[in-house]
Amino acid sequence: MATATYPPPPPYYRLYKEYSKDPDSAPAPPPPVEGPYVLYGANYTTDDALPGLEEQGVRQLYPKGPNIDFKKELSSLNRELQLHLLELADVLVERPSQYARRVEDISLIFKNLHHLLNSLRPHQARATLIHILELQIQRRKQAVEDIKRRREEAQRLLKEALGTLDGQ
Amino acid sequence: MDIISQLQEQVNIIASLAFNTFGTLQRDAPPVQLSPNYPEPPANANAVEDAASLAEQPKLLSAELVKAAKQFDALVAALPLSEGGEEAQLKRIAELQAENDAIGQELQKQLEAAEKELRQVQELFGQATDNCLNLKKPE
Repeated sequence: MATATYPPPPPYYRLYKEYSKDPDSAPAPPPPVEGPYVLYGANYTTDDALPGLEEQGVRQLYPKGPNIDFKKELSSLNRELQLHLLELADVLVERPSQYARRVEDISLIFKNLHHLLNSLRPHQARATLIHILELQIQRRKQAVEDIKRRREEAQRLLKEALGTLDGQ
Repeated sequence: MDIISQLQEQVNIIASLAFNTFGTLQRDAPPVQLSPNYPEPPANANAVEDAASLAEQPKLLSAELVKAAKQFDALVAALPLSEGGEEAQLKRIAELQAENDAIGQELQKQLEAAEKELRQVQELFGQATDNCLNLKKPE
């Protein structure tokens, strides 16, 4: 059975011959990629924002606008979902051939629900950052207090020692 | 698990309960008579117990669905959405960063002073012990 050999190392290794003596004689690493790039035939982008619902071809059921009241929209979508499930049950009893439209509506509601929850993630990330910064500030304040206290204690001990030595 | 992941999990639970409900009911439903001309199917031996469980199933399944929906509402109510918007959060982050930098510098200052004092004490202690052990003639 013929096995393929490993591919050879990339040919530009020769450029790094003098790297241990002079690190600047070799080329610098390539800068990070920005914008869209192609990897194994698929398109990826470096801009990691959540794509809007309209861009994915899904109708948006909750109102657009700068500040969305997430709790209200989530509860109203939940109610809509329950009503649609009841409607589906009714349709299956009376007019079974018209299930497709109802099922489509239900999946639309689910897509909207998940998109709303995903758009809460940046808010959560910022809140986590605020929490971490607060913790760090608290720890640093504590450390400053500790150092001050110890310095004062050391000064006191030195004065005491001096007094003891002088008293001899 | 954080609250948003719990909410997402709950949405998926509601979805799976919904399709399990409809699937079970459709699978276990007795056939419907399309026209009075067609004869009735032969009565089954265990028709009675089937009918009993068939009456119970929708109640149990729909109770599960409603419970899951109520759980979702409870989770939504527990969302800690305190701030009004992205700008308020970003402003708070900038404030906290400034405060963090200031206190970091203070910490650095204290640390340097403490290290200087430590070095001084160590050196003086070294001199004192040298004198005591008569290794160096005092000037």
